[in-house]
Amino acid sequence: TEWNVSLWGKRRAFTEHVHKLAELVEEKSGGAFTMNISYGGLSSNRENLDGISIGAFEMAQFCAGYHPDKNRAITVLELPFLGVSNLAEEVAVSHAVYDHPAVAEEMAQWNAKMVMTSPMPQYNLVGTGEPRDELAEFDGMRVRATGGLGEAFAAVGGVPTSVTSSEAYQAMESGVVDTVAFAQHAHLSFGTINQADWWTANLNPGTVNCPVVVNIDAYEGLSDEEREIFDSSVPEAIDHYLANYGELLDRWNAVLEEKGVTAVEISEEELAKFEEVAGGPIQQAWIEEMNAQGMPGQELFDLVMTTLEEHRASN
Amino acid sequence: MAGSAKVLEDDSLLSRLDRKLAKLEWLFALISGLFAFGLMVLAVVSVTGRNGFNEPLPGYVDWIEAFMPLIAILGISYVQRVGGHIRMDILIGQLRGRLLWIAEFLTTFAVLLLMLALVWGTWAHFDRSFDFSAPLWSRDSSIDIGLPIWPAKLVVPVAFSVMSLRVVLQLWGYARAIVTGTTHPVAVPLIQSAAEIAAEEAEMLSRRD
Amino acid sequence: MDPIDIGLWVTGGLLVMVVLGMRVAFAAALAGVVGLIWIFWEKKDFAADEFTWALTVAIKTAGQVPHGKVASQALSLIPTFILIGYLAYYAGLTRALFEAAKRWIAWVPGGLAVSTVFATAGFAAVSGASVATAAVFARIAIPEMLKVGYDKRFAAGVVAAGGTLASLIPPSAILVIYAIIVEQDVGKLLLAGFIPGVFSAFIYAILIITLALTLKNFGPPVTGFTWRQRFTALPPALPIVAVVVIIICFVYNPFGGDAWGTPTEGGAIGAFIVFLMALYRGMRWTELKDALVETAKLSIMIFSIIWGVLIYVRFLGFADLPSAFSDWITALEYSPMLILVCILLAYAVLGMFMDAIGMLLLTLPVVYPAVMALNGGEYVTAAESTFGMSGPMCAVWFGILVVKMAEFCLITPPIGLNCFVVAGVRPDLSVQDVFRGVTPFFIADGITIALLVAFPAIVLWLPSLAG
Ligand code: NA
Ligand code: NA
Repeated sequence: TEWNVSLWGKRRAFTEHVHKLAELVEEKSGGAFTMNISYGGLSSNRENLDGISIGAFEMAQFCAGYHPDKNRAITVLELPFLGVSNLAEEVAVSHAVYDHPAVAEEMAQWNAKMVMTSPMPQYNLVGTGEPRDELAEFDGMRVRATGGLGEAFAAVGGVPTSVTSSEAYQAMESGVVDTVAFAQHAHLSFGTINQADWWTANLNPGTVNCPVVVNIDAYEGLSDEEREIFDSSVPEAIDHYLANYGELLDRWNAVLEEKGVTAVEISEEELAKFEEVAGGPIQQAWIEEMNAQGMPGQELFDLVMTTLEEHRASN
Repeated sequence: MAGSAKVLEDDSLLSRLDRKLAKLEWLFALISGLFAFGLMVLAVVSVTGRNGFNEPLPGYVDWIEAFMPLIAILGISYVQRVGGHIRMDILIGQLRGRLLWIAEFLTTFAVLLLMLALVWGTWAHFDRSFDFSAPLWSRDSSIDIGLPIWPAKLVVPVAFSVMSLRVVLQLWGYARAIVTGTTHPVAVPLIQSAAEIAAEEAEMLSRRD
Repeated sequence: MDPIDIGLWVTGGLLVMVVLGMRVAFAAALAGVVGLIWIFWEKKDFAADEFTWALTVAIKTAGQVPHGKVASQALSLIPTFILIGYLAYYAGLTRALFEAAKRWIAWVPGGLAVSTVFATAGFAAVSGASVATAAVFARIAIPEMLKVGYDKRFAAGVVAAGGTLASLIPPSAILVIYAIIVEQDVGKLLLAGFIPGVFSAFIYAILIITLALTLKNFGPPVTGFTWRQRFTALPPALPIVAVVVIIICFVYNPFGGDAWGTPTEGGAIGAFIVFLMALYRGMRWTELKDALVETAKLSIMIFSIIWGVLIYVRFLGFADLPSAFSDWITALEYSPMLILVCILLAYAVLGMFMDAIGMLLLTLPVVYPAVMALNGGEYVTAAESTFGMSGPMCAVWFGILVVKMAEFCLITPPIGLNCFVVAGVRPDLSVQDVFRGVTPFFIADGITIALLVAFPAIVLWLPSLAG
């Protein structure tokens, strides 16, 4: 069996689990089950679900925020201030949500089945000029942030300003945006860290969610042995991802120092104020909107919360 | 100002259909141009809003992406009518009479096959983003302000359908030319003679400059 | 059959269709669709009952491309940059530039041709698309050159070659496309294009003067302008300077402080100013309508090639041809500079058959990483690098080289877009005529590229000032 896998950009911490998975299935099957990983050759990033639905390739990665209407259910994972504090928790809540029937049903419309998440740490801002460490200073701040994060900053007077990730560096340099919200690896690969004067170390407003999916027909077309190999390799692939990203996070402080970027700590009171304005109300609005559309909004949100509690209790 | 060939007219059914379709095509091309102009205005509004009032246009990029198919694809059939899509005419330029019309017929027929396939393919692309039961009928939305994408995706099969009609008319025109062996067929793009061009050129330049 | 073999067969088929005179955009798209059907069916071992499946998947895959690739903010620069060109024509800027250039420099040997080159270079500062520049100057400069007795083929060649300057001198749609593909700073690339663009113009001028001095019956110099006539020709061309300053301020603010916005916005503001100028010069709705339809026509022609080629590129992605190429390049055991020169030569050959944007879209995902690796990686410092420049600077340098190659391809047969456009504007000239007329400029471009390779400072000096 030979699978085509559609990713985008270039190989980075964000795609390491896919490479590990490919390596593991090839190894365990003695070379009988291989994966061709393509970066952008098979599809563009916002059309990976379409490609899966057509059957053009067997496996792909996508981000929920690229097209919320294609994947309403999992946008719960992109809500601001869910309280997820590390990658292991991100994996736990993502996979719990992926297992929910509403998600499975929505993905089935695309002939897709969830495999695993690509956990990312909380997005934090890098900015130029004077550090913004008080909520009041977010008023009128032009921030590059999409989805739920954009809404969160808008709630405190920020102005979400859309530029593509590849234009983010230029937008910062030219003052089109004052700040950019990314995960650490993206601040590195899109160069925004080179332009920055400061970084919010503990704002932690939320993150984006990017699952890896397979085409259902392709998955069911695997022999029993191959399917067993595939399924059993997923946890190992995720572990590899976590270890690798962990190293990147360990290096992060050194990177900040090297680039002369100040790590800004925001006070507890300010964080609480931010969460009060941008956390609960936006979460509530999401739940109501989903409920109105006949999606189990409340149930999905509660699932995130209970999983988080259980995960913390068990650790 | 880009290349345009002359399309001859007479009072045959083919030529009447050609002119009817041409009106629609010209309108589509004008819409393409107007939206290109709109793109410029949008940027001016966005810059003014941002620098003057600290109020950038929400979803600026989303709107641009929604406009682009109107600008880049809607008028495709207009360009086909006037022979504006580029090609290499080193070989075909040597042919005359029936042989030329046969060659044109064959390549145009290949275009028809392509267009019919793409009407299907782009319709499917639209159809995946469209859901009658969803809010705003949307099953695919833009990144920043959640604009439904299906209207922009629908532009493509519509433009390609008109293009298919145009190609059918051109095939009809070439087929007629093959049968009659005429040197001046109607409803297909023709290379103008140098004298005709010079006259038109002179008129154009005296109008302006 | 191996997917790579399918890739080669389909590529051969594409060339045959193009040579037979099929419109390039549709030939590429059809090759892509057929190739996709072939490759999906091959995946099912050509089982008869799987053909419908292969057909469906192929056509749906191809059907994603036109909308998916065209709905892009980066590519939205193309219609804006074309519109600005046509508006500038109605604002009288083309005529004013040509008139000023004529009065100031037409006294040199080959004067009107040299004037045309510098007028196109000036116009390049408001036009982001080579083909639009060639189109407007074909209308203005060719008749004047014919009047004083230039060979019509050479006159057309000057315009076709001069038009290519628009893509080096900012604003430039194709430099933006490069920056987007390789994820580098758009502003630095646009700045970097300026000096090589002006440099190219001077090389063209030197070539024309040399030809005028050696060939008999070349167009005569045009003399007899008074200083008064010369100075009165300047003010109508001055607005160009205003537009240039604004666009530069949006890319990089030379007065210190932040730039004023993104290049995308700078282009649009420039277009808006030219629009106001055209209104002031008495442009009416009928003329605006003409400009809009012409903008649509040229944009649609370019975008059709973009999505057509990208359907073919999508097929190549499935056939894995690019990575096969990449493996082959990196396994070579020659000096990095020789490999770089070979890559540029390969672009010259490929560009004979492909349109510039399609060529960059097709090759850069493969070639760019290879070149960066040759230099020692994306984050290499100048001291440790092969070519003596840091990773980001190498990206800028290679970008300018590649765009210059792509521009070169706009004038090489059999598919040289600029020559098609010039022939299209003046159908009394065949495409072959224009190709014949443009041939001397191959030499000029060859010299320019060699100098840019040998002296990277020509490219890198300006962007290094911007920090
Ligand atoms: Na330019
Ligand atoms: Na060429």
